[in-house]
Amino acid sequence: MSKFLKALALGTTLAAFPLMASGAAAGDIDAGQKVFKKCTACHAVGDGAKNKVGPQLNDVFGRAAGGLDGYKYSKAMIKAGEDGIVWDDESLSAYLKKPKEFIKGTKMAFAGLRKDADLDNVIAYLATYSSAAATGEDTSSAPAATAPETVVARAAAVTSLRDGGIYGIGRVALPEEIAAWDIDIRPDGLGLPEGSGTVADGEVLYTDNCAVCHGDFGEAVGRWPVLAGGHDTLTEDRPEKTIGSYWPYLSTVYDYVRRAMPFGNARSLSDDDVYAITAYLLYLNDLVDDEDFELSKANFLEVRLPNEDNFIPDDRLDEVHYAEKGEPCMTDCKPGPVEITMRARILDVTPDSGDDDAAAVGAVD
Amino acid sequence: MTDTKGSGSPNLSRRSLLKAGLATSGAVAAAGALPATARAGGDPLITEIQDWNRYLGAGVDEAPYGMPSEFEAHVVRRNVPWLTADTVASINFTPLHELDGIITPNGICFERHHGGVAEINPADHRLMINGLVDTPLVFTMKDLKRFPRENHVYFLECAANGGMEWRGSQLNGCQFTHGMIHNVMYTGVKLKTLLDEAGVKTNGKWLLPEGADAAHMTRSIPMEKALDDCLVAFKMNGEALRPEQGYPLRLVVPGWEGNMWVKWLRRLEVGDQPWHHREETSKYTDLLETGKARRFTWVMEPKSVITSPSPQAPVGHGKGPMVISGLAWSGNGRITRVDVSLDGGRNWTTARIDGPSLSKSLHRFYLDIDWDGSELLLQSRAMDEHGFYQPTKDELRAARGENSIYHNNGIQTWYVQKDGAVENVEVS
Ligand code: HEC
Ligand code: HEC
Repeated sequence: MSKFLKALALGTTLAAFPLMASGAAAGDIDAGQKVFKKCTACHAVGDGAKNKVGPQLNDVFGRAAGGLDGYKYSKAMIKAGEDGIVWDDESLSAYLKKPKEFIKGTKMAFAGLRKDADLDNVIAYLATYSSAAATGEDTSSAPAATAPETVVARAAAVTSLRDGGIYGIGRVALPEEIAAWDIDIRPDGLGLPEGSGTVADGEVLYTDNCAVCHGDFGEAVGRWPVLAGGHDTLTEDRPEKTIGSYWPYLSTVYDYVRRAMPFGNARSLSDDDVYAITAYLLYLNDLVDDEDFELSKANFLEVRLPNEDNFIPDDRLDEVHYAEKGEPCMTDCKPGPVEITMRARILDVTPDSGDDDAAAVGAVD
Repeated sequence: MTDTKGSGSPNLSRRSLLKAGLATSGAVAAAGALPATARAGGDPLITEIQDWNRYLGAGVDEAPYGMPSEFEAHVVRRNVPWLTADTVASINFTPLHELDGIITPNGICFERHHGGVAEINPADHRLMINGLVDTPLVFTMKDLKRFPRENHVYFLECAANGGMEWRGSQLNGCQFTHGMIHNVMYTGVKLKTLLDEAGVKTNGKWLLPEGADAAHMTRSIPMEKALDDCLVAFKMNGEALRPEQGYPLRLVVPGWEGNMWVKWLRRLEVGDQPWHHREETSKYTDLLETGKARRFTWVMEPKSVITSPSPQAPVGHGKGPMVISGLAWSGNGRITRVDVSLDGGRNWTTARIDGPSLSKSLHRFYLDIDWDGSELLLQSRAMDEHGFYQPTKDELRAARGENSIYHNNGIQTWYVQKDGAVENVEVS
């Protein structure tokens, strides 16, 4: 049976006995609150909790998987709900242990909790925000599937003609539309918004929104990108390219964090937040050492990144093998019979060939 | 001795049997894998009536959108899980070893996303042009389809194609060493047509395309290139772009690195300077041994690879006629010549280019040999219309070191063993 089928079978059984599981009591709520720090980058729970990268988790017990209105789940999560998975001790514990195994295709980019105690504790903590879990209320009436999202009938997009131009196709972009999309920033400061933020504010924001993936000190968790350190490693065997060691311009940090981070919840930070986080990233990279340092539109251009001067134009064509182009050698191009000097099999990292995780090195970005 | 090897090396034929078995799951499995040599009483596939000779097959409409034969189920994109943290910011590879000709079928064009595949209803999609233009404009998809269109076949290669091989041979298969590439026919509007419609101001020297996905991908493109041959495309190989290739709209930047071909294209901003965004500073800059890094290394240099035989496509026969087949391409234009070596680069023979030879498109080459059954060290070397040809991997390392990640167009060597198995190697 495929993992997915197993998960479904399990889910169905669970859904049939939603009250069977009552192990939430087994966990330690206070310890669970600490574990939940691993989730806060993406989830909120408690008074006024809103959806972030992931859905808010109030009353998650008894909720059909993918069942919260107004949050955009993956197809896999919606399918799981339709197939009868309802959140309770057991399903939560299976999901949080190995999210991608329990629900193949879930978009929760979280590796899972390895320790059983962490699982019990965080589930106990979540239970305190779920009336179904606390009161033992019968959840069998919980919708087993989400109501099909009302299909919003879209007015067929119009096509417009205007005066001027060559073909006169399209319409003039309004200033507020340009302002909504044009958020790019250049090294000369063009595009920087009004605002400011301190290292200290940035630390709080970073810990809540970024550290799950990038690590408390920008050192990265698992294979997520490293953001700090790596000074003086560019000529080493394994260079570590970070904001401090490699990036030429600070404007790139502001621009990128604002357009693409936190991963899965892009455009959720305010301009001040991004100033604060940018300031904190400078701090993590030892480029400022004062927690009170405030980065703002006004002083932004005063900060220079150390590696700025090490970027050069494309001069590939000056390399000997291109510069001396001519008729390539066709016969007796090497002195004697050719020897094999290296074999891929020695370091076998090809997928499906066994040990994928070997000493593989490489990068794709 | 070689004639006993009708079905290739024991190892490999077992593998293909397994694959066939998986695909047919219990049907008359594997009958087709028997050697086609004559046997007493004749080949049962000929002398006996097969199910498909007698019973009716599926009717029309069985698959309103047709899929490949179930026997081709192994021809799929694959990723290398250890490369990245999560599949939504990751890459997979085109199965080049299974393809022929020059066109990549849409469903197996490699994917690279930075924030997953955006799902966009074309009715909700907008393309904005702003910045240093006379009139900032907004187009709907319907608007875009009223402009004159063009069709062009171009390869798209990720600058990191081969990036895992800088330090030496690592991955056994051209899918993994060279599969961050695809080649399709695009239909779209010339970027110049759209920019002219908005009217680029005289100080508009750079263009910033931006995607509508969660990564809001951006790159700086010099105006000269934008006005030269770039397209804003909505079709690939005749049908709508696939979601993972930027549906409903993507930028086409012929011959230049794939990251610039912004998918889910929603905005084009004209400026007077480059933006130096993340994908052209932190990424897609080529670190040299000196610690300096090249930036704006846009052009994909001449390159080639033998797709068969190759590690995933071993020789399935004994000595005698053998087709050596491969792909060559250059971001500078057309490929004019491909040389193939059987002895690791000592001696070369010019191969035959077959099929259309189009600028900035994949070219298919063949060398038909009479294999004597001995070991081969296969290499191919592409030359483009400007006379640039592929360097060796050692020449590249001498010029750049081993930390460049991008733009590895060094000559690939495949070691063909006597039993037909093929391995990725490096040679002296
Ligand atoms: C990197 C972001 C991220 C982290 C970290 C994360 N989650 Fe999630 N979580 C998500 C996303 C996104 C979804 C929606 C998944 C889908 O639609 O497939 C989700 C879904 C869930 C669901 C299902 C809710 C529902 O409405 O069906 C639960 C329960 C959950 N997460 C709990 C947790 C807990 C507990 C932790 C910490 C131990 C955690 N998550 C860590 C992003 C995250
Ligand atoms: C769920 C995991 C996750 C979270 C949370 C997250 N990031 Fe990221 N971050 C990523 C991934 C994945 C990438 C690379 C994306 C790609 O492949 O294009 C990235 C890239 C980056 C980069 C560029 C790194 C480089 O070397 O080019 C920066 C800077 C960054 N993130 C900052 C942040 C900040 C600041 C936050 C919090 C506001 C944050 N990230 C939250 C996953 C995350």
